[in-house]
Amino acid sequence: MLKHRARILAVDAGGTMTDTFIVDELGRFVVGKAQTTPENESIGLIKSAEDALCQWDTTTKEAFPHIVAGIYSGTTMLNRLLSRQGLRVGVIVSKGQEDYFLLERGVQTYLGFSYADRLHVVTHHHNDPIVPGRRVRGVFGRIDVFGEEVLPLQEGDARDMVRQLLDEGIEALCVCLLHSYRNPSHEQRIDQIAGELMDERGMNIPVFLSSEYYPVRNDFPRLNTTVIEAYAAQPSRAQLQLVTKRFRECNGKFETRVMASHGGTVGIDTKELARTLISGPIGGVLGARYLARAIGSDDVVCTDIGGTSFDLALVTGGDYAVKPYPDLARFLLCIPMIQIDSVGAGTGSFLRINPGSGRIEIGPDSAGARIGVCWPEGEVTTPTITDCSVALGILDPDYFLGGEIKLDRDRALAAIKDQLADPLHIDVYKAAEGIIELFEENLKGYVASAVLSKGYAPSNYVLLSYGGGGPVHVAGYTKGLDFQDILVPAWAAGFSAYGCACGDFEYRYEATTDLPVPPGSDDDWKVALCTMLNMHCEGLKAKIVAEFEKTTHGSESIEYKTFFRIQYMGQLNDLEIRSPSDRLETARDLDDLLQSFEETYGRVYARAAKSPELGFAITQAIVTGRVDVEKPRLPDETPAGPTPPEAAFKGERKVYWKGEWRIARILDMEALESGNIVEGLAIMESPATTFVIPPGATAELDSHRLFHLRFHQNERDH
Amino acid sequence: MTTYDKKTLENLWEGNLSSGELRPIQSQFKDQDRFWKFLEYCQERVGWSDRILLPLQPHLFVVQKPDGRRVNKCDCGFEFGDYRQNWKLEAQVFVRDTDETLQEIYPPMMHCDPEWMVLREFYCPGCYSLLEVETVPPCYPIIHDFKPDLETFYREWLGKEFK
Repeated sequence: MLKHRARILAVDAGGTMTDTFIVDELGRFVVGKAQTTPENESIGLIKSAEDALCQWDTTTKEAFPHIVAGIYSGTTMLNRLLSRQGLRVGVIVSKGQEDYFLLERGVQTYLGFSYADRLHVVTHHHNDPIVPGRRVRGVFGRIDVFGEEVLPLQEGDARDMVRQLLDEGIEALCVCLLHSYRNPSHEQRIDQIAGELMDERGMNIPVFLSSEYYPVRNDFPRLNTTVIEAYAAQPSRAQLQLVTKRFRECNGKFETRVMASHGGTVGIDTKELARTLISGPIGGVLGARYLARAIGSDDVVCTDIGGTSFDLALVTGGDYAVKPYPDLARFLLCIPMIQIDSVGAGTGSFLRINPGSGRIEIGPDSAGARIGVCWPEGEVTTPTITDCSVALGILDPDYFLGGEIKLDRDRALAAIKDQLADPLHIDVYKAAEGIIELFEENLKGYVASAVLSKGYAPSNYVLLSYGGGGPVHVAGYTKGLDFQDILVPAWAAGFSAYGCACGDFEYRYEATTDLPVPPGSDDDWKVALCTMLNMHCEGLKAKIVAEFEKTTHGSESIEYKTFFRIQYMGQLNDLEIRSPSDRLETARDLDDLLQSFEETYGRVYARAAKSPELGFAITQAIVTGRVDVEKPRLPDETPAGPTPPEAAFKGERKVYWKGEWRIARILDMEALESGNIVEGLAIMESPATTFVIPPGATAELDSHRLFHLRFHQNERDH
Repeated sequence: MTTYDKKTLENLWEGNLSSGELRPIQSQFKDQDRFWKFLEYCQERVGWSDRILLPLQPHLFVVQKPDGRRVNKCDCGFEFGDYRQNWKLEAQVFVRDTDETLQEIYPPMMHCDPEWMVLREFYCPGCYSLLEVETVPPCYPIIHDFKPDLETFYREWLGKEFK
């Protein structure tokens, strides 16, 4: 076997385990694991990399010099926020607004709750404030929505408040005043005052101005994001520097980048580190986009079933949708994030009979990592979807996670019988099959509505299924939807980490513009608008250039994309539109932009709903800048013919299917060769997932080790 | 079926659960055995042996006396008489109907106008626990909060014949 030459290193530092994913120049990879060491992450990280590299008989010292890209994603920042162990932050807001963290705009008391609980008001509760009331001060002074000064900043007042906060022993100061994204002068003045006071005391603590970090409309998300930048992201900076230092000590010369929520990776010296707060599920979407491109498609539905949830993201025309105001850990934020819709329906979702209606309910809560009743060590007493799969013979109780965990089928059967089948007076297998059918029908509903609500049809898309539970149910939740193609990577397990390695080196910045285009605007006004929009974009480009100049890439090779968020004047929701031209020059360019908005609007809502009578508002300008970095290659194998090799057959198993016991062939997913075609009913197993091919369907493994699931013509429509 | 151990129910009753522990209980289907477990818990806590038939509200229970009478009883042991009678008629009453008495519990200008509304506090004559507060216009008749139909409740809601 050829000696492996490591090229890309992707690290996922979770709360308990740090996973490392190393790719060589042929796209082959290894995964390593080690315990996370929160006090100095670099220790666990290097251990994990060594664990991976020893599978290739090499060491970090030997392999690191060849690595060209290192991507880090982790949950430590998020954990710091969740466990409320961040810096001691002081906050200055506009007078009268001091109770932001107590009121939480109401909405933060139920963010992330299931629909049932949102209606069930008694369950709503306030979060522990990340900054207690005594460290939040208001100062007099007001800028209005147009950026005009209505009340000058009362400097004496500001001085007093900063002094009081410094007396509280704060470690960082955040300033977030109303409408500062329009006119930052008051915030900047407070910054100066704070600087003077700190000089007097001979101290130096960082000051975070919302207008400098996240200059967008919506004061509460802006405040939250600025405070989180100080509270949770600032301490991570030191950690990341330690990590880079360790890489250097191991002779790694590569640049370390961090996965950011907008779907690109950013340098560790980036100013706005809170953008990297969440990265976990994003990897999968990036990986899916990369895969789809490789096989020549720009429109993908990414679906991922884990233990707790079903996550769905759309890539349309090569771009994913971005949410400008996402919520995370019960905070409203203003960092752009890839839109991933998540519903509480995973393989660990609990199954219960609603005592009120006598019907089966799936979730929304789940056993998560505790699998289900079938795993005695998990001490779960309520049956889950996995219990049903085990009961029906779809999952092998002796080969869960490659046999690492032994499941007890009888326990699962007993629980389903006692708690579900008997109360419904039906046979236990019928009950289990019915539940799985219901589960997959629900998922099919989510998939269909996600695609249709964007104004497309499934036939416009390729569907990709990954995650531990995706391939088990993919046939069930796609049948009859008529996707162009249904893909399951044969290496579904490491898919998220793989995706992280596929991330572009990309920064994304946005600025609130709020420019009106009244109906019947003349060309002069349109040209003036173009000039103003260009000014905003130039400002954003300057930010991107500044970030890239901190890296070895410099600013020459940056590829920019410009987007605008536009809405009909007077409406509340805007849409993100890719600008047809890189630079808006003429009235014609602006018309093209508005035209493209109208087309998108007509597709997403309805053509008849277009309402240009009052004109348009261009609410936000967005610029992304990326440079080329090395990405993992797709595996590329020579086709070996349609018949699977003898070694791939593991045997046969009885599976309950459509009311009868049938014999299913069991295959080893890893032993299949490219070109192999598998007819249903068959079950393919790998340590990380199980791929079910129903009767009347086939799966073909292509040269990139992607399965294509196809239904026979007469099976398609029912 | 949802079910909780007695310790959890005790903590729930005492208000010792964190919001993280409390929310799943609020979100899930009601535990079907709650009534019996809670009854058992109440019986253990009180210092007398009459059988509790129904917890009425904090401190108060409907109990079965050995001679067959069913009475309202405070956890201190004071008995208010037949459970179909309004126990408030046997309680000690303190009426807050002046600015002075209302301001003992409210800041000035934050309380009701005593000409329009008064507070009536009912105390147990045995242990002086505050049992109930009525907010009513002056002279309003004493409210009979709850007159349980024990037979029907046991038979149709708990599915058990009432003896």
